[in-house]
Amino acid sequence: MAALCGGVVGSSFCRNHQLFRLLHKSFIGRLGCNHVAAQHTAPSETGSAQEIIIPRKKKWNEEAVLQALASTVNRDPTASHYRFQDDAFLTPKTSSEFKLFSQSQEAGKNAAEYVVNTYPKYFTKDYAEPHVPCLMPDTLKPQVSDVSEGALKELIQLRKVRQAVSMYDQLLQAGTAVSLEMTNDLLDLICFYGDQDPQQEETPDQEKSEDGEEQELPPKSRRGRSRKLEVWRKDNNAERIFNLMAERSERSYSALIRGMVKYGAQLKAFDLYADMLNNRMSVDVNTFNALIIAAPEVRQKYNEKWELIVEILKQMKEQGMRPSLLTFNAVLKSSRRCGPAGRMQALQTLSEMKAVGIEPSLASYNHILAAFYRTVFGPSASFSNVSSDILHKVMDEVSGKSFIARDPDDVHFFNYGMKICCSLKDLGLAYRLHQLLGVGDNWRFLGSPSQEAHYYGRFFHLICMMETVDTVLLWYRDLVPSLFYPNSGAMRDVLQALDTDNRLDLIPEIWKDIKRLGLSNKAGDLVEEVLSLMARDKHSPEVHESFAECALEVKATYGSGEQGQVTLDWTASALGNIASILLAAGRTKQAWDMLPLFKANNRVPAEKLLDDFLSSAMLRGDPQRAVTLVQLSASFSLPATARLAQRVQQECELNEEHKTLLVELEALSHDKD
Amino acid sequence: MCCDGCVTCVSARHCRPLYAFAMYRRVFLSLSHFQQPVVFPQDACIYSPKCISAATPRIFRAAAPCGYRGLSTGSVLCSEIKDEPPPLKTKEKAQEERAEETSPQTGRSGKEKLLALLGDMKVQVTTKRRARPMAAAPGPVQKRPEPRPGEMESTISMFQEATAAGGKRDTLNPALVAAASAAAASLPDGSRVESELLQQLRKHEAVVQAQAGQRADGRTLGNIIANMKVGRRGHPNQQGARRALDDDEDDGAAQRHAQARGVGGGPDGERKRRSQLTGKRLNIFSKTAGQDAVAAPTLTLWDLELANAIAAAVKAVPRNGFEEMIQWTKEGKLWRYPIDNEAGLEEEAHVPFHEHVFLERHLEDGFPKRGPVRHFMELVVLGLAKNPYVTVNQKVQHIAWFRDYFRAKEDILSEAGALQN
Repeated sequence: MAALCGGVVGSSFCRNHQLFRLLHKSFIGRLGCNHVAAQHTAPSETGSAQEIIIPRKKKWNEEAVLQALASTVNRDPTASHYRFQDDAFLTPKTSSEFKLFSQSQEAGKNAAEYVVNTYPKYFTKDYAEPHVPCLMPDTLKPQVSDVSEGALKELIQLRKVRQAVSMYDQLLQAGTAVSLEMTNDLLDLICFYGDQDPQQEETPDQEKSEDGEEQELPPKSRRGRSRKLEVWRKDNNAERIFNLMAERSERSYSALIRGMVKYGAQLKAFDLYADMLNNRMSVDVNTFNALIIAAPEVRQKYNEKWELIVEILKQMKEQGMRPSLLTFNAVLKSSRRCGPAGRMQALQTLSEMKAVGIEPSLASYNHILAAFYRTVFGPSASFSNVSSDILHKVMDEVSGKSFIARDPDDVHFFNYGMKICCSLKDLGLAYRLHQLLGVGDNWRFLGSPSQEAHYYGRFFHLICMMETVDTVLLWYRDLVPSLFYPNSGAMRDVLQALDTDNRLDLIPEIWKDIKRLGLSNKAGDLVEEVLSLMARDKHSPEVHESFAECALEVKATYGSGEQGQVTLDWTASALGNIASILLAAGRTKQAWDMLPLFKANNRVPAEKLLDDFLSSAMLRGDPQRAVTLVQLSASFSLPATARLAQRVQQECELNEEHKTLLVELEALSHDKD
Repeated sequence: MCCDGCVTCVSARHCRPLYAFAMYRRVFLSLSHFQQPVVFPQDACIYSPKCISAATPRIFRAAAPCGYRGLSTGSVLCSEIKDEPPPLKTKEKAQEERAEETSPQTGRSGKEKLLALLGDMKVQVTTKRRARPMAAAPGPVQKRPEPRPGEMESTISMFQEATAAGGKRDTLNPALVAAASAAAASLPDGSRVESELLQQLRKHEAVVQAQAGQRADGRTLGNIIANMKVGRRGHPNQQGARRALDDDEDDGAAQRHAQARGVGGGPDGERKRRSQLTGKRLNIFSKTAGQDAVAAPTLTLWDLELANAIAAAVKAVPRNGFEEMIQWTKEGKLWRYPIDNEAGLEEEAHVPFHEHVFLERHLEDGFPKRGPVRHFMELVVLGLAKNPYVTVNQKVQHIAWFRDYFRAKEDILSEAGALQN
């Protein structure tokens, strides 16, 4: 068996061997061919291909894979924001719900964090392997209890300003020398927090102040407002410790100057700066930046302010300091307060920035825009001398670039730019700005949710004003409600756009959105506008039919006052419009049902409406209804009663009873006249 | 041969527009001999920006039929073209080579061959109409005087002349006529052949004219090429993905991208400002002046808080699951990519594996060289070597513990005879 097998295998191998040799030959031949071909083409390859550059080894960061994946996910215009997707029940439908849900989500997180940090003894088990620090409670209580430099260090790290100051005093009283480094750290801490303990929870307060401030102001004033609460008190701990110090380094001065600028003691800051110069100390960039910010406060006249800034910059140059992006942003920010000449100076600063080789950030452009367009939003708004030129130029520079946040003010650019676009009514610019927002990670610069809402609100307003209704609806479907919850103003814009392009037949659809957005029982004037637009013109019967359906829905929102729910008050025009919409759609019965509501709500119907009702009654040959109508009119003591009565008498076939009634009514109204 | 075309096209991307024009022409000429003209329009699209992509197919509508007629001479030419480094060779040189290459064909005669050559020549007519007679058919070329080198000094002059020559297109080029008559003279019944040839030529010319007439605005090849800009077009999504992958991405690409977009023109494409926001400067700082601010020796509270403020300003709620995962990764709640089984082993990362595995060296001193204690310790070491859960330090301490233990029990051990040396 085995031998047989071997024989078979052997013979087949022999055969195969021959075959293999053949194959091998041809293979070699082909190889040779290839070789020749390779030689043949080689020179042309080397000639045409440029030098092979071996790419540098790239170190990918941990998020690179995730970032690549994230960039493949597009926004779904029909879905709500990702953060609400955990619970379909909590999908926000209105802007207030959006605010409520997102804030409660934040608040929940903060509360959990607070509990964990307040009671660390209950959260000692470390579940994570490897250890995840952010899941464990932060130590907020100082661990070192004795009076030592170590304890002071810990207090500084925990940012306990008051405790740290008293610890420092105790150390001094005990005669222990505190190192310069430690004292500087302490000074930094005191100056940063303005000699007050930092508030426990900063973030919720910020949110609140931002949301409360609906008519959003330029960033400067907002910060100014929050800072007014804290001032640099005379002879506070920072100054006291500073005076106690045996030797003072540049850092001590720097900390004090920055603190003084931050808390509004600009003059003192400049005094200290003069001290530094007298002591021939070198001033660091951050201190210069703080001084530039403070410069407009210590001079009265515009040109003096600018001269001071230039002087500081020259001093910087003299000291051999290289300006940073923040330096120039500070100059630009201060140049906003240098009057009309600030514009030229801002542009010069920007050129200087580029000449020095510092790429401007979005905040730089924002400051320039603010310097140029401030007058647009000021009390004496004048559009005459303002052109969109500078924004165009800025857009030329920034378009297509993806920015990285380098300045806290970067986030104001988009909102402010859109504000300008809106004031200048420049749709093209707005589109360019919006396109820029889509580049790379630029969407992050929209800022807080309220800023985002303002941005989209303005953008949409502009589109409604300038675009055809089809484009408006495209944008509407794209933005609402995944990015933007329109308010009643925005919905009115949509209605106006529909009106201008004669697409009123879309109103029922818009009404559905109005209802979903929760505006139907809040914005009475919006509802009335919907009604009046539907009642105004003649349309095809189908359109009238859909209008009638819609009008009945509107009527339901007025009437249905479920307990606790705020409903709108009926107005005469609302009642009249609904009635005439129903009449136009031929829904006579439902229209007649509207009439008693006038009486019930103490509203007076318009004459035209009564005429319409009369016509419809005549058309159907219903004298009973016609007479009732005249009676109704008489009960409102309308001057038109007589005319209506005459009309009924002339055009209807009446029985005796009706006739006498009408005559009476007519006489009554004449008497009144 | 299509390979050659590809290479040319790709390298054209890196050239200045003017040079690209030369290349374009060259490719165009060589293409006419290729069997697969289809390849080229695709390649052309690679480096032709959007604005002329509408015009490009037209050229090929004219060129494509000729390409299919690539005949016997075509193949000879192809091999020759492949040899030359395409983008670097001047037009002139290529022409000379071509002339040399085709000279052996003089021996070939016969009417059908000539007609075949004419079919080839038609291609040359299409290009020559605007260019120069030097690009004439390979067959008759040998009879013609060699093109003067000065004529082809630069592609620019050719281009200019080409546009200038556009006016006299209704008559046949005299050089062509001369070439045709020369070719006919070599055959018997020369006059008849010549008239046939000329007739054929006129027919082609008419066809070409008709096709040219379809370009309503009278755009010439030159115009199209003059309008052409060499740009790079990439799918925005792809670019975004690439950018996300690149940790330190080059800004140049983004700028080029922006420029390419700018060419496309937005709603205000007509609004081109060269000098944007550049003008007088303050002239306080100079680019090199000022040492780089002495890097702050310690990270002060101010720096930390500034970084926090910036991060808080742009801290956006994640828009999708991946972004949420990025956030978690940053917070340290998620495994870090690339995922391996060494996460969280930061302090062990710089300990080489042999420290973990080869622990015998710790038995060198303090333990007997042989005997039951040694045997026991070898087992201990073996166990430790296989234990991934303890650090090297712990392992060494473990061994040290036994060392002390056995040292303390030395008298008992020696009494029991376990320490025989």
